[in-house]
Amino acid sequence: MSALYLYPVWLRLWHWLNALLFVVLILTGASMHFSGTSWLLPFDTAVPIHNTAGILLTISWISFVIGNLVTPNGRHYHVRFRGLFKRLFAQMTYYGYGIFHNAPHPFHVTENEKLNTLQQLSYIGVMYGLMPLLIISGWSFLYSVYLPETLFGLGTLWVIAMAHLTLAYFLVLFLIVHMYIITTGETLITNLRAMLTGWHRESDHDNCANAARD
Amino acid sequence: MNKHYALNPGTRSGPRTREVWPPWVPHWTLVLMLAVVLMLGLGSPLVGLGAWVVPGPDTAAVAAAEQHDCLRCHGMATMAYRDPETGELVNLSLDKNELAYSVHGKLACSQCHEGGYDQYPHPAELSAAELNCVGCHEDHPENTDRLDFSVISQEYKKSVHATSDDPEAADFNCHSCHDPHVFRASLLGRKIPDIVAYDNQICLSCHEKLRDPLSSSHAWLPNRDKHWAAVRCLDCHTTLNDSDRPVSHEILSAEQSQVNCVNCHSQGQGLLARLYQYRSREDIEKQGFFTKAVYNQAYVVGMSRNPLIDWLALIIIGLTVLVLAGHGYGRYRAYQSLREQQAGTATEGDKS
Repeated sequence: MSALYLYPVWLRLWHWLNALLFVVLILTGASMHFSGTSWLLPFDTAVPIHNTAGILLTISWISFVIGNLVTPNGRHYHVRFRGLFKRLFAQMTYYGYGIFHNAPHPFHVTENEKLNTLQQLSYIGVMYGLMPLLIISGWSFLYSVYLPETLFGLGTLWVIAMAHLTLAYFLVLFLIVHMYIITTGETLITNLRAMLTGWHRESDHDNCANAARD
Repeated sequence: MNKHYALNPGTRSGPRTREVWPPWVPHWTLVLMLAVVLMLGLGSPLVGLGAWVVPGPDTAAVAAAEQHDCLRCHGMATMAYRDPETGELVNLSLDKNELAYSVHGKLACSQCHEGGYDQYPHPAELSAAELNCVGCHEDHPENTDRLDFSVISQEYKKSVHATSDDPEAADFNCHSCHDPHVFRASLLGRKIPDIVAYDNQICLSCHEKLRDPLSSSHAWLPNRDKHWAAVRCLDCHTTLNDSDRPVSHEILSAEQSQVNCVNCHSQGQGLLARLYQYRSREDIEKQGFFTKAVYNQAYVVGMSRNPLIDWLALIIIGLTVLVLAGHGYGRYRAYQSLREQQAGTATEGDKS
C-alpha cells in the first residue's frame, strides 16, 4: 500500500465548497431559467440564493487561483508539452478501450503529477477558461447598466444571457463527467476518499493492472 | 333587408332624378341598375346577400350613386343644425375621403339608414333611431373577418364603458369609439406609430385630460410619453387575450388595468433588454450598488431562454449520461470477466 498526501486542507475545503456552490448554482439557475416548473424553487427564492452563491463562487475561484500561485499545488497545472499528444492519446485509448479489457492504467499518480494529461487539460479549461467567463458573465448580468448597449452589433444583454447560459450548460456537463471519472481510480472510491482525507492510497502491487477493477 | 334597395332607388324617381344622374352617365348603366333593383326588389336571396356582403360591380354602382346622392348635402363641411332642445350645433357633415377609405366606404347609406330619408328635412325620429351594429354584423359574419360580433357584444357589456355609473358614460355606444363613416378596421402597411396614434386618438377624443402634459395620470409608467407613442391604450386597458383574435372590447377601468411590464416586455429581446436595464438602474438607485448584487430584481423570467441552446444542451447532456452509463456497464462486465479469470486461476492453483 502506497500513500501520497496530495490534497492539503485548503484545497479540500475549496473543492467541497466549490462543489456545493456548483450544485446550488445549478439548482437555483435552473429554477430561474425554467421558472414555473413545479419541482424547482420559486423564482423569488432562487434569485437571492443564486446571486449569493455566485458571489461566493467568485471569492472561491479567486482563492483557488491565489492558492495555486502561492502553494506548490500550482505545479499540477503546468502543462508538460513534451509528449503531450502521446499521453493524451494513451489516456483516451485507455478510457475508450483499455478500461474494458482490464488494461493497465497508462498514468501513475505521483507527488509531482497527480493529474493525468486529460484531467489536467480539462481542469485547466474549466478553472482558467469556463469558470472566469461564467463569473464575468454573471457579474455582467448584474451590472449590465454600466456596459455598452451593443456588443459586436448585438444587444449586450442578449450576448451576456446566452454566454451565461451556454457556459452554465458546459459546467453541468463537466460536473457529470467529473463525477463519473473520479470512479475510475483503483477502486470506485479511491479518488473520492483522496479528496476527503487528502491521502491518495493505492495497492503497491501493480496498481496499474488493477485500475479497471472498480 | 333587400327592401332597402327597392326603396332607395325608388326615391330617385320624381323631380330629383335629373340631379342624381349627371348627363355623362350612360343609359345602359341605368338599365343595368334598374335590373339589379328589380332583382333585389323581387327578393332574390342570392343577389340580396351579395348586395349586403361585398358589393359587386352592379351593387357598388348603386351604393356609389346613393352615397353621391346623400353626400350632395352631407358632404358639405358646413352641414349642421342647431338642436332645439340643447341649443348645440349638431354636425351632419361627412368627409367624403374619410368615408371612401372607411370600412363601410363601399356600402349604400340605406343599408344602415333605413327608409324615410326622402323627406327634407329628414324626420327627427329617423336620426334618433338606434343603429344596430352588432345585429347587422352578426347577420354577415363573412364580412367581419376575424371578428365575432357576439363575442364583442359580450365583452363590451363587461367593459367599464358599459358598467360605469359615471353620467358621462350614460349614452356610450359603438359609435362613441367607432365612427362608422370614418372607422378603418386595419391600417396594415402603415407605420406602427401612425397606427398607435390613430388608435389612441379614439380614446383621447373623450379622455382629453390625459393630453395635459402636467397630468399626473400614468406617472408610474417609465418613459410615459414614449409608451403612449408606441403602445395602444388598449394594450394595457383590456383583458389579456391568448387567442389570435384582435384586442378585446372589455375595456378595463384604471384600477383593473395591466400594470405588468413583463406581459409586453417579454415578447422580444429588445423589449426585454430595455425593461431589464430600467429595472437594474432602479435597483441600484433604490437598493444601493452592492445590495443589488444579491437582490437583483431586474431579471425577467425567460430572458436567458433560447430554445436552440436549451435543446442542444439538454440533448448533449442526456447523451453524455447515456454514454457514461454504457461505459460503466462495460467496466462492470470487464470487472466480472477479471473476477472469473482470477477464480479460474485460483482453482487451477488449488488443483496443482
